Amino acid sequence: MTIRLTVNGEERDIAAAPMTPLVDVLRDTLHLTGAKPVCREGFCGACMVLVDAVPTVSCLTPLVLAQGRDVETVEGLTSADSPMPVQAALEEHDAVQCGMCFPGMVVTLTHLTTAGRCEPSREAVKAGLVGNVCRCTGYERIVDAALAVMEDRP
Amino acid sequence: MPGMLPMTAPSVAMPTSLTEALGALADHGPGAVPLAGGTWIMRSPLRREGFAPAYVGLSRVAELGKINVTPDTIEIGAAVTHARLAEALEGLPEVAALAFAAGNSANPAIRNVATLGGNLCARGFAAADLVPALLCLDALVEVAGASATNRVGLADFLMHRDRLLQGSVLTRMILPRCGRPSAHARLPLRKAGDYPVAIVSMAAGIDGSGRIETSRIAVGSVEPVARRWTALEDALAGQPLDPARASDIARSLTTGFSGREAVEAPGWYRVQVLPTLVGRAVAALASQA
Amino acid sequence: MSEIAERAVQNFRRRDARDKLMGRTRYTIDRGTAGMLHAALLRSEVPSGRILRLDTTAAACMPGVRAIVTAADAPGRAGLGIADHPLFAIDTVRYCGEPIAAVAADSERQARDALAAIEVEIAPLPAVLDMGSALADAAPLVHPGWESYEVLTPGGMRGGNVAWEASVDRGDIDAAFARNDVTVVESSFRVGRQNHLSFEPRAVLAHFEDGRYHIETSTQVPWTVRNTVAALLAVPASSIRVTVPPVGGGFGLKFDCALEPFAALLARMSGRPVRLVNSREEEMTTCLFRENAEICIRSAITPEGSIAGREAVVLMDCGAYGGEQVFLTTMTAHTLGGNYRLGAVRIVSRAVYTNTAPNGAFRACNGVYNTFALERHTDEIAAAIGMAPGEFRRRNVIGDGDLGATGQVFEGDVLAPMLAKMEALRERTPASLPGDGRLYGRATTVGTWFVFTGPSAATVNMNADGTATLVTSGVEIGSGSMMQALPQIVAATLGLSPDKVVVRAADTDAAGYDVGVGGGRTTVSLGAASRSAAIEVRTKLLKVASDMLEASAEDLVMEDGRIDIAGARGSGVTIAEVAARAQALLGPVAGTGSFTGAGTPAMEGCCAGHFIEALDIPVFAVHDCDVAVDPGTGHVEVLRYRVVQDVGRALNPSAIHGQIQGGVVQGLGYALHEEADVGRNGAIRQTSFETYRVPLAGDVVPVEIELHEGAPSIGPLGTKGAGEVPILNVGATIACAVAHATGKQIRELPLTPPRVLELLLDRAQAPDFPHIGSRHSDNRLATGTIA
Repeated sequence: MTIRLTVNGEERDIAAAPMTPLVDVLRDTLHLTGAKPVCREGFCGACMVLVDAVPTVSCLTPLVLAQGRDVETVEGLTSADSPMPVQAALEEHDAVQCGMCFPGMVVTLTHLTTAGRCEPSREAVKAGLVGNVCRCTGYERIVDAALAVMEDRP
Repeated sequence: MPGMLPMTAPSVAMPTSLTEALGALADHGPGAVPLAGGTWIMRSPLRREGFAPAYVGLSRVAELGKINVTPDTIEIGAAVTHARLAEALEGLPEVAALAFAAGNSANPAIRNVATLGGNLCARGFAAADLVPALLCLDALVEVAGASATNRVGLADFLMHRDRLLQGSVLTRMILPRCGRPSAHARLPLRKAGDYPVAIVSMAAGIDGSGRIETSRIAVGSVEPVARRWTALEDALAGQPLDPARASDIARSLTTGFSGREAVEAPGWYRVQVLPTLVGRAVAALASQA
Repeated sequence: MSEIAERAVQNFRRRDARDKLMGRTRYTIDRGTAGMLHAALLRSEVPSGRILRLDTTAAACMPGVRAIVTAADAPGRAGLGIADHPLFAIDTVRYCGEPIAAVAADSERQARDALAAIEVEIAPLPAVLDMGSALADAAPLVHPGWESYEVLTPGGMRGGNVAWEASVDRGDIDAAFARNDVTVVESSFRVGRQNHLSFEPRAVLAHFEDGRYHIETSTQVPWTVRNTVAALLAVPASSIRVTVPPVGGGFGLKFDCALEPFAALLARMSGRPVRLVNSREEEMTTCLFRENAEICIRSAITPEGSIAGREAVVLMDCGAYGGEQVFLTTMTAHTLGGNYRLGAVRIVSRAVYTNTAPNGAFRACNGVYNTFALERHTDEIAAAIGMAPGEFRRRNVIGDGDLGATGQVFEGDVLAPMLAKMEALRERTPASLPGDGRLYGRATTVGTWFVFTGPSAATVNMNADGTATLVTSGVEIGSGSMMQALPQIVAATLGLSPDKVVVRAADTDAAGYDVGVGGGRTTVSLGAASRSAAIEVRTKLLKVASDMLEASAEDLVMEDGRIDIAGARGSGVTIAEVAARAQALLGPVAGTGSFTGAGTPAMEGCCAGHFIEALDIPVFAVHDCDVAVDPGTGHVEVLRYRVVQDVGRALNPSAIHGQIQGGVVQGLGYALHEEADVGRNGAIRQTSFETYRVPLAGDVVPVEIELHEGAPSIGPLGTKGAGEVPILNVGATIACAVAHATGKQIRELPLTPPRVLELLLDRAQAPDFPHIGSRHSDNRLATGTIA
């Protein structure tokens, strides 16, 4: 069975079982290894992608439910070498350690810091990060970076 | 250790109408299961359950994704996600319990895909937030089968869930609008992000002097299936909206609960915290009243 | 030296951040190669049993299967201190999850399907699932043949289910307790296991090429992997090359050989590259956890409030194999026996075999729970003698010239000024009290950790373009040491900016031996080796420059990529020009450096079974917090958290602050949320992120930090490791604050809401350890037991 979806702007036909987790298709078939299959149960957020612009855990998304939809991975957020505002802010705040959670963090924060999405307060940002676990950093710099992006946005 | 896929990959039909969906379920026989957001079903292998032989996807059945608010009722399609539900119900005080439940369950990304129907149909999911919220709101469940469409009270639905869902699709919930404030008090072990170990949902009619006339109180996650706490409903009739008092009354009425033992929390704890949650729910009601 | 040290200090940003943020970093789990096979392990489902039959014939015929290996293919045993651990269960299984066979197939699915076709018959045997059962009279032995194992490090006492016993006896302890003027305070504590939950699971990609194994793996210890694989496969260590891609979290989990031997063996058998990655469930259930432990401690306190004597028994569950816990028995003397001046001391620390998943290393191993026990005990002492806990600490903390538990002499007053700094920090950062019916509590605690020095090697190649390449076996596990501290040290020594120093990823074929990344040793040991290699390069460059500039080498300064005559900036040449000239005249410029411990002396004859008798680089920490406890639910909220940490010299303050924030939060998980235990079936009950709860963004607070600089250190430029220690006294501090808030004795961690509510309702049972004898001597193996 072939399932067609758009990934990072390109239409792709995927020959895989319909219940295959989207994260496996992205990583194993399309070699987009940014999304990480860490918990495979929707709690850690490391496999976060945008599906029709909505943050979605790709581990719990069966391929068949991505059919005909627009999937954007962390690799698709930046077309060239220059980072997005969220990435630049995280870099500027010296937030990164092991880095495994950050592809998912970046996807969640890119959505969260869009105008009107989230009140620019620590509490609101933390509520938005409930589904993104980080084991290294203790979160606060990630929150600082998100707030900096919100304050700078037009 | 579980594989990510069963020995034979299941088939998935993606119908675009309810009629087609019911037809697909009939075609695949009793093993076929409706598939909505997938957040529960995709974890079947982790629960050592494996996948069903066939799934019938509901995400393209337009009528299941509708929310219809009329002066008398609120109808919510089974495929409405938690996130959409929370957004759509914002500012409607009589369903504040449901809006809060939908807006605080699991985590944001799960709420973006997990559905109302999934929360009601997942077997073995004791901590489902929407179930006690809907119980306190006196919701009706509509189930469409090949031959008929039936509406049943939620408590009856929960009791006969397996039989009612055989070859059928849960299509929508119908909530009466009775203008009573409602609240949902949930207790995760962290600030948020884990399933609540206990839930108290409450809707109450308040008289002119600020006393509780009648109430519907539901308890979730404490026992395997959510249920009403009728003894407390009776005991609170005529009481003021006083969190401490309500909590005290609740403390004397917890003996009927048998707390669920599970890895994340012992059974006694789930029962022990109920009076505190009742106090929180009453405080939330008082702030609305 | 001091200018170089000052130049080295900067908030240099890590060069791996950008790719990590863009999803481009390729960790081991992201790597694949043409023709690669996927492997899976058949694991035991019982905690103890005899393998009656193991038949892989049918599985070998399954589609896609290319190789199957079992114990018959891996004859060796490995371990730390004792070689007790085979690769696969040989005849006997000792824990749930123990590997029995490994399969490589064309796909992961085929490999897992083939596992189901392996025929295995296991007759269950009685299992000891906790230390009480393991130490009971006539308990079944986890290793009936323990006496026959090869001892790799002599000196420890062993016997039956006691895998290793280390002890310290200094001074006349019996006399101290026999004094008629002392107050005797006695406490018992218990802690559960902690899972590292590193995001990247243990993972490996192995190749067998030209008669050698090339192992790409997610590890903290490439040389341990090299040597352990060799021991288990019974092949020469020189036939193994280990390289390490970026590691997606370690925290000690990857401080041991793990999946590498299976993949290496399968690669040789199949002639194909083989990838093996643990599923999350495998990670959860066979994690080399921070061990569960049981601690009994008693102290004799004089009327003036000093500690005349301290006696303790610590039991550490090592699981089915000795592993790291054998080594960690040493640490109890320095952690539980640390912080305070002691008249006399007698401590025994035992690693106990059980039929459970082996435990391992975890950030500030052993120190975290012993500090919890020690600091709770200290508060209990203060209460017993009616002294304020802060006052008791001020009077008794270790200072200049004081003796440690093993009789080493400490240098410098460090803890006392740190306590004073904490008091000032508290005043600057007051907590706003909840005022909502919750119970308020606060606490200040102290902790002693150390830097595990040990051997390291480094080479610096000076390139003719003015850049330098640093070659070591160090691994970047996320802490930033390899990305920040090391290039900063080399760059400062060579007068370059740190971005001109390329750090090569670990490769055992390219760099010399290294103990590995852990114990806070990267900046210190690899840093010292790197600094000494850089000094050799510096000396060579200055010599060539002195010829070029016709000036004496002593009159030259190396700074900003230039070598100039002192006081005459612009008078000289660029370092690139010097390097190019040197290369043309003498050949490429390189330097090598190496380092190991200083061998700080302990008191003769007071330690037995210790791997280290004294601390080369002690590290101290003072933590403080305010908490609110919900009396209705037992939830503990941290209102404010403060750290004063001894860092020697802070090379990269931003990086250190990041480590402290992260380490404290991991400690908050240990103190409040993270619970891992063994079910009646012998398996770990928390198998997923759903049931193993780590702190989320909403559960944490920004840590208020002050770095204490200037304490003595043999580390390069006066540094000490900073990443290990932030977790050290979090459990202690939270426990003391919760005890303060609730007025209840805290004897156990983690303080999950159910456990706190149990305490508040007076339903908690104090730990009772019938297997710990009331006389100290009941807990010691007889002298002369096999060592």
